[in-house]
Amino acid sequence: MKLNLLIASRPVAILIFLAMLVLLPPSIVITWWYKTGRIIGENVDLNTQKLHSGCLSQVDTTAKSITPLNSSATNLAMLLSSSFNRTYEISFDDVETKVAPTLFLAFSTIPYLSQISYVGSGGLFFSYYFDGNQTVSAYANSSYSSNRKRYFWYKQPVDNHTGKFNGEAVRFRGFNATNTSWFRAALHNSRGYSSVETMWNSGDDPLFLTSVGMLGTGVISMGVPVKRLTDLFSGLDLHGGILSLITMDEKLLVDGIPNTKFISANSSIVLQLMNPNGAQNVSCTTPESYILHIGEEEYRVSCSAVEISGVPSVYALASPQKGLASLVHSKVNHSYIALIATIVFLVIVLVFFISSMGKTAQWMMCLHDKLIKQMEATQQAERKSMNKSLALVGASHDIRASLAGINGFIDLCLANAAPGSDFESYLKQMSHCAQDLLGLLNSILDTSKIEAGMMNLEEQEFNLAELVEHVVDLYHPVGMIKGVDVVLDPCDGSIVKLIQVKGDRGKLMQILSNVLSNAVKFTAEGHVCLRAWVGKPDFETEILASSRHSFHNYLSCLVKDENKARGDMNALRAVGQNHDSVEIVFEVDDTGKGIPKEKQKSVFENYVQVKETAAGQVGTGLGLGIVQSLVRLMGGEIGIADKEIGEKGTCFRFNVFLKTCEISSSGNLKGNKEAQGDAIRPPSPSLHVQTSSARLTVRTLSPKSDGSQVVLFMQNNERRRVSQKFMEGLGISVSVVDQCNYLPSALRKIQSKLNSYHHSSRRLDMSGRSDNSSSSSKEMPLSAMDGTDYKLPLNRRRDAPSFILLVIDVNAGPFSELWRIVAEFRRGLQSTCCKVVWLDKPTARMINPVRLDPGDEVLLQPFHGSRLRRVIKLLPEFGAASSQGASGNSESSKHSYSKARLRNSQHSGEIQEYVSSSDERYSKKGSSSSPTLVRTHVRVASKISPIHQHGAESSTGKPLFGKRILIAEDSQMLSFIATTTVRQLGADVKNCVNGKEAVELVCDGLKTQTNGLPYDYILMDCEMSEMDGYEATRLIRIEEEKYGVHIPIIALTAHTSGEEALEAGMDSHLVKPLKSEKLMEVIENIKRHSSG
Amino acid sequence: MDLVQLQRQLVDYRTSLYHEGFLDEQFTQLQELQDENNPDFVVEVVSLYFEDSERLLNELSKALEQQIIDFKRIDAHVHQFKGSSSSIGAQRVQRLCIVFRNYCEAQNVEGCLKCLQQVKHEYSIVKTKLESMFQLERQILNAGGSVPV
Repeated sequence: MKLNLLIASRPVAILIFLAMLVLLPPSIVITWWYKTGRIIGENVDLNTQKLHSGCLSQVDTTAKSITPLNSSATNLAMLLSSSFNRTYEISFDDVETKVAPTLFLAFSTIPYLSQISYVGSGGLFFSYYFDGNQTVSAYANSSYSSNRKRYFWYKQPVDNHTGKFNGEAVRFRGFNATNTSWFRAALHNSRGYSSVETMWNSGDDPLFLTSVGMLGTGVISMGVPVKRLTDLFSGLDLHGGILSLITMDEKLLVDGIPNTKFISANSSIVLQLMNPNGAQNVSCTTPESYILHIGEEEYRVSCSAVEISGVPSVYALASPQKGLASLVHSKVNHSYIALIATIVFLVIVLVFFISSMGKTAQWMMCLHDKLIKQMEATQQAERKSMNKSLALVGASHDIRASLAGINGFIDLCLANAAPGSDFESYLKQMSHCAQDLLGLLNSILDTSKIEAGMMNLEEQEFNLAELVEHVVDLYHPVGMIKGVDVVLDPCDGSIVKLIQVKGDRGKLMQILSNVLSNAVKFTAEGHVCLRAWVGKPDFETEILASSRHSFHNYLSCLVKDENKARGDMNALRAVGQNHDSVEIVFEVDDTGKGIPKEKQKSVFENYVQVKETAAGQVGTGLGLGIVQSLVRLMGGEIGIADKEIGEKGTCFRFNVFLKTCEISSSGNLKGNKEAQGDAIRPPSPSLHVQTSSARLTVRTLSPKSDGSQVVLFMQNNERRRVSQKFMEGLGISVSVVDQCNYLPSALRKIQSKLNSYHHSSRRLDMSGRSDNSSSSSKEMPLSAMDGTDYKLPLNRRRDAPSFILLVIDVNAGPFSELWRIVAEFRRGLQSTCCKVVWLDKPTARMINPVRLDPGDEVLLQPFHGSRLRRVIKLLPEFGAASSQGASGNSESSKHSYSKARLRNSQHSGEIQEYVSSSDERYSKKGSSSSPTLVRTHVRVASKISPIHQHGAESSTGKPLFGKRILIAEDSQMLSFIATTTVRQLGADVKNCVNGKEAVELVCDGLKTQTNGLPYDYILMDCEMSEMDGYEATRLIRIEEEKYGVHIPIIALTAHTSGEEALEAGMDSHLVKPLKSEKLMEVIENIKRHSSG
Repeated sequence: MDLVQLQRQLVDYRTSLYHEGFLDEQFTQLQELQDENNPDFVVEVVSLYFEDSERLLNELSKALEQQIIDFKRIDAHVHQFKGSSSSIGAQRVQRLCIVFRNYCEAQNVEGCLKCLQQVKHEYSIVKTKLESMFQLERQILNAGGSVPV
């Protein structure tokens, strides 16, 4: 919920923030903008007003610049009047002499004065004025000739500078000066009177006239032309303004403004504006301004009163409205609009943006929601799967418990059932079903355990070669029933050399069993071949060398190439685990239907079966999945190896990493007799590695032994090939025969060769040795399978083999026929030793033992592994070097077979005879050059003594008389039974209750005893407190090593299998409860071994 | 009581024990081991067996009462019990021990408890039977007769 809230609030917050961000600046900017606009507007208005008022004041100033001439006129009048007597009537002469110069002086000195005149009340007149550029005087003089004053008017031009008349006086009509209003107004006004009058000159130009009366006698008037004012006005810069001017007595001086009219009303002047929408009267006394439209233009009109040269007048100024101010105002408004538009646009964009943001946020929310749901679903699914796995573990567990109960009770029932009854057979079937069910359940349990990650490896020491052989042997009968041969290919024999390894024996066995059973199950004909070899050790050293490089290499590898990296990781793991660890590679090759390429990957997944091949086959499809998990658990990898085109079937290849056990292999020799005896010891120590060069050494180093010839006659191709390859790998000359028909001819060839050799042996004797060594370096045929039915290495060496071993599979032909051929061959041989190994099926005993030559061996199939090695040890090259071990081994098998063969025979003496004779035979074989010849003597000789000996023992009933036996047993009761049993057999008994005591007793015995063994036999309970039997045995074996003795130790176990006991170095094992016959049997066995 | 009758009774009783599967040939072997040097061998062995068994059964019950059950230890005990039972030929007990061990391997507590009860029961039967047999033998010996083989 919090997360949702957070996710929801985030866009809103962003929205608000953005809105603020977008709206705040515009509002500030607009306000500022508006203010600035207003200030600008105001300033502009102010400026405009200033300009307007400036114009007005300019007009005022200009108007005032026409100074009133009152004072100068008054002063002049005073001056002139003072020069006249009051009573004295002024004559024209006076005028001419007194007034005229003064007037001219004033006229020329006072600026802008364009007219000056004296008007006498009597009618005298004198005036100067400009007519154009010429100064003209006009005067009116009274004529002397008449009483009646009669005036004559004259105009006479005057010199501009001196004032002297310089032209002709011209008579004219004269001016009516005395009758004018201004004259009358000014006559008695000594302060002066101003008005606008017309000029004297011909133009009638208007002028401002100032008149001053001279005490009633006359008037002095001075005039400044209006034009002068208008000129000044026109010189003014009114910024486009127009000016109108009118005097109060309605004399229009300047008429500039159109559509206006001055109207006099109530002794004041009113300006009438003739606007299109009607006339408007403007009072000139108020300083207001009005709008006047002239055409399209708009003007502001303001009226004002002004006194010009003493003449009161009114003017109106129209200044254009459309100026800077209006421009500024309109532009400011435009900018407002533009700004607002921009902001509106921005807001729209913002809104759009925000809405899209909102949509995105919504979308994201949706995605988040989905993701969360998905995650929850995934977690739930994982939980469910985990729970399911655990539940499955629990359930399988419970089911297995119940099944175990069922099994137990079936066993109980079986024990009570009458043998041979239907009831018993049903019970047996039930038991089988229950076992099958248990197996199925176990595989499911394994799967679920692996899934739940609860599978762990248990480490224990075991013999790998034995294990592999055991597994193959297990499946051999299964295959035999179907007609499929299950073959163990030792390859280079490297796993035999390993002897003891440490690892999870059970799981490795499970892997092998699963893969093998699969292979057997899906193979209808042909063979199944298990190959095993030790992985190349240079792999590790290479990794060690490369581990000096930085770890980055691995990292980069990891990224670059997964496969390579995996390999490296495996190597790392292997190195990391232990430097002693070895890689074991297994290959299970069958000739079944095979698996289609596209299905090869899915085969390893759980519950997957390849449909076509699975038809009619039952199974859960869990097998390979479990195998893969287990292989990976052991640090390896499983895969399907590619087969060559045309080859049938599938080849599974996997590797596992196991630890080597240095201690056990370097431990006591005798304890590991079984194991080490299996490893083939060629005559030379350099032969320990069986390579191609080793072959050479066999012959060069042992030139005296002429080598043996082995003839393999077997039906199964693969087994024959494997056997041949292995033997040839050891340097044995092998010829193979695959059909009964070819056997006689093959044997004949050997025979003829032998015979020819014997004839020429003397001749070759001299050069034999050198010839031997040189010829031995020749290449020998690697394969005898190529086309021909058999192949004899005829050209290899000229000297014939000294020993011929025939390995004959009796299933390949009728036994009697084979026997006949062999017998014939034997007869043909002169001195060469010949030995026959008959291979028989355990199920179908085809060999008639009576007809066999006593030197012949009978082996039950399958012929591989330890049996193959045992046969090889029959050869003098190998047998001679380690005759003891070989004899011991072959003895046990011999014994078992002899027992099997003669089980029906009632004659117990024969067993003894047989056994003892073979004892003798094997003990002498090493020294005997021709065992077959000696045989008969031995048999005769040995016939007496053993029987006699046995008879002596059995007569007293105490076969163990005089023997010292140590019994280590922690259970008091069992110890008691054992002691009594052994005592009855006549032996001295020493008891101890645990392994530790046993070891101590043995050690003490070894120290004190100078000759012989402290105890002849030790009966050792396997499971004891303090120290168990295995451990005790190991310690005893180590201790014995110092003295070079070997005390037989017999294990007492409640388990049926005694493998563990044998591995621990015990000689034999007995299943509890102890029985005297079985004990005797075992002791006899041991005796034979040690004596053999 | 008549000596002959007693001897017959003993033989019958012994036969019935074999017949009902309480004992097997191992017991016969034990009897064969008994001779003049060891006249009370069987009785001694069997009493040792009783001692041993009672100790083991006690330990088993204790072990099964524990909160965390050490199946390995139980297995070892049962194994031992099986061994000793087979050594005197108490085959019913021995068979039950096999079942017991299966349960133990499967770590099934209920099954183990059930089996323990059965084993105890079977053991007590064997014990009483053997004891009564020995009593018969003693009676015969006391009466001056010899125990028939």
